Amino acid sequence: MRRFYLLFLSLLLAVAATADPQYEEHLHLEPLPQGLLLASFNFKSNATLQSFEQQHFKYIPRSLGQILQHARTKELHLRFSSGRWDAESWGARPWDGKKEGGTGVEVWAWIEADTGEEASLRWITLNHALSGLFCASLNFIDSTRTTRPVHTYEPVGDHSNTSLSNLHLLHGTLPREVVCTENLTPFLKLLPCKGKAGISSLLNGHKLFDASWQSMSIDVRPVCPESRSGCIVEMEQTVDMVLDIERSKRPHDNPIPRPAPADQLICDTSKSYSSSEACFPIDMSSMQSWSLSDVFGRPIKGSCLANDIRGDRSESVCISVPYEHQVFSSQGSVERKDPSSNHRCYVLPENDAFEMALPQQESQAVLPRPSPPLYASRSFTGHGQERGGVQSLLTNPSPNAAVSFTYFETLPWFMKPYLHTLKAQIAASPSQSQEEIIKSIYYRPALDRQRGTQLELQISVPPASTVRLTYDFEKAILRYTEYPPDANRGFDVAPAVIRLHPDPANPSSKAVYLRTTSLLLSLPTPDFSMPYNVIILTSTVIALAFGSIYNLLVRRFVGADEVESFSLAKVKARIKGRFAVIKDRFSMKKEKKTQ
Amino acid sequence: MHLPSLSFPPLSVLVVLVLFSITFTFATIPLPPPSTQHTSNWAVLVSTSRFWFNYRHLANVLSLYRTVKRLGIPDSQIILMLPDDMACNPRNAFPGTVYNNADRALDLYGDNIEVDYRGYEVTVENFIRLLTDRLPAEFPRSKRLGTDAGSNVLVYMTGHGGNEFLKFQDSEEIGSRDLADAFEQMWEKRRYREVLFMIDTCQANTLYTQFYSPGIIATGSSEVDQSSYSHHADNDVGVAVIDRWTYYNLEFLEGVGVGDRGKTLGELFGSYDEGKIHSRPGVRWDLFPGGETVGRDRLVMDFFGNVQDVEVEGGERAWNESEWREDLKRLKELVERRRRDQQNGTESGRLDVMDAPTAPKEMAEPAKPGAAKVEAGKGWSQQVIGASTILGCILIWGGTSLLDNPR
Repeated sequence: MRRFYLLFLSLLLAVAATADPQYEEHLHLEPLPQGLLLASFNFKSNATLQSFEQQHFKYIPRSLGQILQHARTKELHLRFSSGRWDAESWGARPWDGKKEGGTGVEVWAWIEADTGEEASLRWITLNHALSGLFCASLNFIDSTRTTRPVHTYEPVGDHSNTSLSNLHLLHGTLPREVVCTENLTPFLKLLPCKGKAGISSLLNGHKLFDASWQSMSIDVRPVCPESRSGCIVEMEQTVDMVLDIERSKRPHDNPIPRPAPADQLICDTSKSYSSSEACFPIDMSSMQSWSLSDVFGRPIKGSCLANDIRGDRSESVCISVPYEHQVFSSQGSVERKDPSSNHRCYVLPENDAFEMALPQQESQAVLPRPSPPLYASRSFTGHGQERGGVQSLLTNPSPNAAVSFTYFETLPWFMKPYLHTLKAQIAASPSQSQEEIIKSIYYRPALDRQRGTQLELQISVPPASTVRLTYDFEKAILRYTEYPPDANRGFDVAPAVIRLHPDPANPSSKAVYLRTTSLLLSLPTPDFSMPYNVIILTSTVIALAFGSIYNLLVRRFVGADEVESFSLAKVKARIKGRFAVIKDRFSMKKEKKTQ
Repeated sequence: MHLPSLSFPPLSVLVVLVLFSITFTFATIPLPPPSTQHTSNWAVLVSTSRFWFNYRHLANVLSLYRTVKRLGIPDSQIILMLPDDMACNPRNAFPGTVYNNADRALDLYGDNIEVDYRGYEVTVENFIRLLTDRLPAEFPRSKRLGTDAGSNVLVYMTGHGGNEFLKFQDSEEIGSRDLADAFEQMWEKRRYREVLFMIDTCQANTLYTQFYSPGIIATGSSEVDQSSYSHHADNDVGVAVIDRWTYYNLEFLEGVGVGDRGKTLGELFGSYDEGKIHSRPGVRWDLFPGGETVGRDRLVMDFFGNVQDVEVEGGERAWNESEWREDLKRLKELVERRRRDQQNGTESGRLDVMDAPTAPKEMAEPAKPGAAKVEAGKGWSQQVIGASTILGCILIWGGTSLLDNPR
């Protein structure tokens, strides 16, 4: 009996310890204006810190866990992104921009080390290992692409005070890096269901990399809840994409749109020039019907580890459409409709495929998304091969509240900004002094071929105004071998990262991240065949000069009549002479011996 | 006329020299063929062309990648080098897809692909370092060629080339001698058992003429002064999608199934039809032990497939029980120590948890190397200091020139 109690107690303890699900996944769909669809995939797995440190891996993959342990990385954030989030028409970013990276690859991590150099070494180890795991050129993140931001990033995990003093934040970007199927493949292999079941079965490269904007992220952090003892390690993977529904519905093997015959066109008669000859095709995209397999190419293949400890299945798929809209879902799934928030969520069937279809709706209303707290865009100014300028436009749309943020830029070493030309002006009223806009500047100048420029500005933009931030820079001339094979394409400059600070007066405001697009900097490029011309010309000159001088030095010039004519008798006589000499030598030796 | 008198070195020096040269020639004599059996298969697939119009070179390599993967070589044993991105290129009307045929029946990029070297990483230096394994310690496993003396290696290269060279990314070249020396170093380091070297480029056969290491079968698409041509173009992709020689190789390889023990290399090379390929493919057998007669009978699966024969080291050696006991004892000690460490570790872990995680300090100055705060000018006071410094300098200069004046 006592044994039974003990068993029961230990079971109870086990249940209490694993009350939180160790793995959960979630898909949120939201139609956007202009016939677009925002799909946010979220996968969260965790393990207790103890089991993680003892290398008992279950849902956190061993491949990544061991890399983090080897490089002593306590917190990792890795982003693969492409495209541009169109904030003007799509509104605020998903996850407040926290799961988003700049174009290409962005990685930042908190690494445990005693000194800065040790942290840099571990950082290089980490990037090399990640480059092997994710098939990306992360090994190119060397000292020239690494920065240590001061205010832009803060640890999102819970670190104790003692460990925080030993943690080093390092940040690297690869704006040129292409994100493609080979990055998605290892990303999916980190998931417990490997993209074979659950919502991850919707992810495939053909749709993800056809998106207008996409971002994949991986965050690993320690979490120490106050209520419970014992920390956990949490790994969160997200994929966000904005798909064009009409484009996604085209057949995969024939995706090129062909013009519709004239008699099938539906014209927009509201245009002034609309007549029997002129037709402006009406925008059909926002009112068309779609289903999951239309957009993603296949339905969801059952659920992945959705059963929690009590055997209940959690809701994995949610969609935000107006309450009155019709949404059909396949049998075996459970729908929960929330009238207050326009959300409806679905519990996936355990083994069967899940399909969701939205028929053509009567009203075309798309739920409005919250507007972003700041609009930011960045571009190059100036002309010529020697100098240039950068201009950032930062617009605060709020009519009454100022917005304060950190503006963080990393520039490659061959782009040398002049800090004294840094100016911030309010576009409408240039009279306002600069001190009121730029609160402080954190700056680390570049060193040629060793490190890039790091610039962090604390900026405050008054309500309903646009700040124009400008500075000039000089372009360095690279060495011949430093140019990439496609030098004439230009050099990518990493996007600026903007971190909005929560308003202290408004407790509901959150920290928000946004990023500008990357820039393409054209540097003066040499004529790459020129060295060969130089080598050939120099060789010719040297051959001519050296040849004639050498001849002058070693040749004896004689008149043609002074040259002895060749005769066989003379040669014979000379050979005989030599023989006689040798004979004499031998005979002399013999004589010596006999003596 | 004066002839220089030759002074002969002493005999002892001569003897040493002769001995030295004998040992030296012995050292350069190729190592005896390894007795090890064939235990693993590796593939190195390299495209060397950047830019969209070279789509076909990536398609060539991806076709081979698909074939060796289909025949059983795992991704961990395939080194794939792609210098440019065609699948997610903005010019590609088929995102995430690469086709090698205008019928678009087969998506080469698929859903499961691992590219080991990509973009600017595909350089001559990286390629030679990969073959010879001269890589920094932090390089990950997936970017290394982990071959040994029992490995059969398939090396496939494609790109733009010429007489005894192959261009990498239109900016550098690998010469036939570089390639030959790299293979020799592999042989010296016992990094392969047999190599099948395939190359599809203009004047491809010149690339393998300099090879001198044993155990290599080499084949190329065209002779010296011959071009290799593309097979056909896809109008929707907009460029040529595959080269002729690779196309007809694939046509043969598609007929090879997993575990196919029938098809031989002789049949593969026999399938080359000059009329279809529009150039004269070449094969080099002389480095292979046994030459053409043995080489022709080699199975295609010896290079394109995967074997999993296991070599047991020291099979004949007597069973050493004491050694076995030693190992067990050592393991036991390790386990004990580990357990002790863990107990200590959990205790310290608990201590860690006691410290409540604190909110990160706001706007704290970093103690680590980072950006420094730029202080704005202090206004008048700074300008007064500057002006007085300049004034002081002028005064000193004026004073010294007055004193210096002899009058």
